[in-house]
Amino acid sequence: MTLRVSGLSAMRSGRTILHPTSLTIEPRARIGLVGTSGSGKSTLGHALIDDLRAQGHSVAHVPQSPDEALDPLRSMAFHWREAEWALGLQPGSADQKTLFTALKIAGGDLRKRPWGWSRGMQQRFVIAMALIGSPDLIVLDEPTSALDPVVAAATMDLLDRHLEGRATAMMLITHDLGLAARRVSTLMVMQEGRIVEQAPTAEILERPKTRASKSLTAHRNWMALPC
Amino acid sequence: MIATLLSLLLRAVVVLAGTAVLTFALLWNAPGDPAQAIAMARFDALLTEDVIDQVREEVGLNANFWGAFVDWVGPLLVLDFGNSAVTGRPVWPDLWVSITYTFPLALAGLAIGLVISLPLAILATQHPGRLLDRFAVAIASLGTAIPAFWLGLLLILLFAVQLDWLPAMGARTPAHAILPALTLGLGVAASLTRIIRSGILEARGQQFLPALSRRGVSPKAIGRDHVAPHAAVPVVTVVGLELAFLLEGLVVVEVIFGRPGLGTFLTSAILDRDFPHVQAVVVLTALVFVSVNLIVDVIYRQIDPRIGERDA
Amino acid sequence: MLKIDQVSVRRGSSVALEDISLSIPHAKTLAVVGESGAGKSTLIAAILGLIKPWKGKITWAGAAVSSCRPALVMQEPRSAFNPVLSLRRSVLEPISAQGTSVPGERIKRLCDGLELSAEILDRRPSEVSIGQAQRVGILRALIAAPPLVLFDEPLSALDAVTQKHTAKLITDLRSEEGFAALIVTHDIGYAVAHADEIAVLKSGRIEEVATARSFAASPQSSYGQTLRDAAISLGALDTAA
Repeated sequence: MTLRVSGLSAMRSGRTILHPTSLTIEPRARIGLVGTSGSGKSTLGHALIDDLRAQGHSVAHVPQSPDEALDPLRSMAFHWREAEWALGLQPGSADQKTLFTALKIAGGDLRKRPWGWSRGMQQRFVIAMALIGSPDLIVLDEPTSALDPVVAAATMDLLDRHLEGRATAMMLITHDLGLAARRVSTLMVMQEGRIVEQAPTAEILERPKTRASKSLTAHRNWMALPC
Repeated sequence: MIATLLSLLLRAVVVLAGTAVLTFALLWNAPGDPAQAIAMARFDALLTEDVIDQVREEVGLNANFWGAFVDWVGPLLVLDFGNSAVTGRPVWPDLWVSITYTFPLALAGLAIGLVISLPLAILATQHPGRLLDRFAVAIASLGTAIPAFWLGLLLILLFAVQLDWLPAMGARTPAHAILPALTLGLGVAASLTRIIRSGILEARGQQFLPALSRRGVSPKAIGRDHVAPHAAVPVVTVVGLELAFLLEGLVVVEVIFGRPGLGTFLTSAILDRDFPHVQAVVVLTALVFVSVNLIVDVIYRQIDPRIGERDA
Repeated sequence: MLKIDQVSVRRGSSVALEDISLSIPHAKTLAVVGESGAGKSTLIAAILGLIKPWKGKITWAGAAVSSCRPALVMQEPRSAFNPVLSLRRSVLEPISAQGTSVPGERIKRLCDGLELSAEILDRRPSEVSIGQAQRVGILRALIAAPPLVLFDEPLSALDAVTQKHTAKLITDLRSEEGFAALIVTHDIGYAVAHADEIAVLKSGRIEEVATARSFAASPQSSYGQTLRDAAISLGALDTAA
């Protein structure tokens, strides 16, 4: 199902931090929402999720750090049941085993509380929760910044593999064009609360049009390896 | 878990031992001659030195500090509180009668405090900063500032003297307990309201809450399953401490309302310099304190096991 | 030069660093990379003398490291400053504490190098961006011209564009000022692009030490390989097509 939102905007202390924005997201889309810090990426992500939920779509959200997703006083099993319940599913009806195996956290002890798991496993647990019930869209907000690079790369690979062949669309919010370039097919570039450029990834990398995308492209990688 | 329980118990024993030494040191160095006071209380007349010396010998006040301490602490270890220095009767039966009056009163006070403060704090935090919230905070501040003896007299004046609804003095019927329990309970409610309120507000600021509502968890479930446990940690701790204020308030309330009980027991023991009575109350208080703190420790380790992890 | 000679550090009953030998020649940069918990921060603490090594020793030009007054740039730039003081006061603190005078010309030169306008120094930490705060942190570290500067994840709080910009400023200043730099980072891309040598740390041990170029081309240890591949997979390093 194609997802459409229009006129999303947001204010903070009298200042517009998100100018009216409309978006269309196709099923299976892989979208990167990129921009420097303070450009309004996360704000747009939140507004998008809230609007789509209000329309009745199922949208999942993976915040930047597992600390923003899990209650340290509640067990992992509790979080899982709660997520199922919130989606109107019977406890135990989500295919936990498949998701856990796909994300390589099948060995985790669900009776433990989040801090009994490593951060990498917590983050993957949050992603697994986000995938319950095959949502129409999964929004990942800087999913790798709280993780060690090795764990981060593995997590992104596992997620890619799991989403393959499913209708779920993915939006990756990041300040890192290098990361987005390897993971998404469409880029939306944000600057000062507006989407200033939207195009296939390759096109923006080769022919950035705006100041924002030129700067991001120029600082995309640390260096190119000769090989 | 068993290891932590053992270490908590050990901590409790150390506190009790410290209390014992301190209590004894205080009694030992108390101004005035206890032997003389005891003799006066017992014989109710001016006394010769001989009689006072005899009392001193009898009560064991002749030994040096540590010798006397050992003599003193030995029986206490088996909960033998000895005989009253004044009446010569065993301490325990009289103490037990006092407990049967005081313990229900304390529980009633705590219950009234919780019944008032919990809903008030929850209501107030529905809209922080609004009228109801400010009202609750103002009342609570006022409540903590009002001393128990004044509030007690005020209640007597209103309900016993003016309206003649309730009895003021004594402890003959359960109705006699209403005003004292209310006096205690209102004080407890005042301080608990503030603690619970700030506990809830702090728990509402937890960073993972927005993600929960985006996950579709209902506000009601978030309040019940996430905000409440986080708010409970400081509240449980404070309810334990509240017991200290409760004991203090009990002494005042029992004297004002002329109720028998530990408070009255303690005040008359102090006035008579009845060592065994005083020490029995002190030891009992320390025991209650240490046990309550032990229970609080165990409870909040249940709610938030990270506390135990950090200790270890 | 900085010489770390067969250093082992114990934390409680476990070993935090084991048999570490590294050296940084004058005016060169060594990057120490590895996952969190590998012992990177312990290494910095040991160099600064905050932890005593259990075995081995760390020296600067043959003497104790403290004799050269090394400087430290921390990860969280804003919290490294006193929030109620102007940045200028925080920056000048280390030299005024030494009783030496403040060379105004030097401040200006460093500010130019860090692309900081002098006016920024009159603000408080909360009134500047994170990127600016981090550059002021670097200014404070360099003001007394230390021969050795330690960087603890200096870029991880910054966004991708600011990271690259700041990294270039650090490298330019290093060749201008001639200090030796030790950079602790988990960002392989940064290490490859800006360090002369890379040391891979895992569970308190050195897995390999290589020049940045040869590490990028072919890491010798399997863990080094894993780190480099992860960096490529996250787009931090690009394989030229």
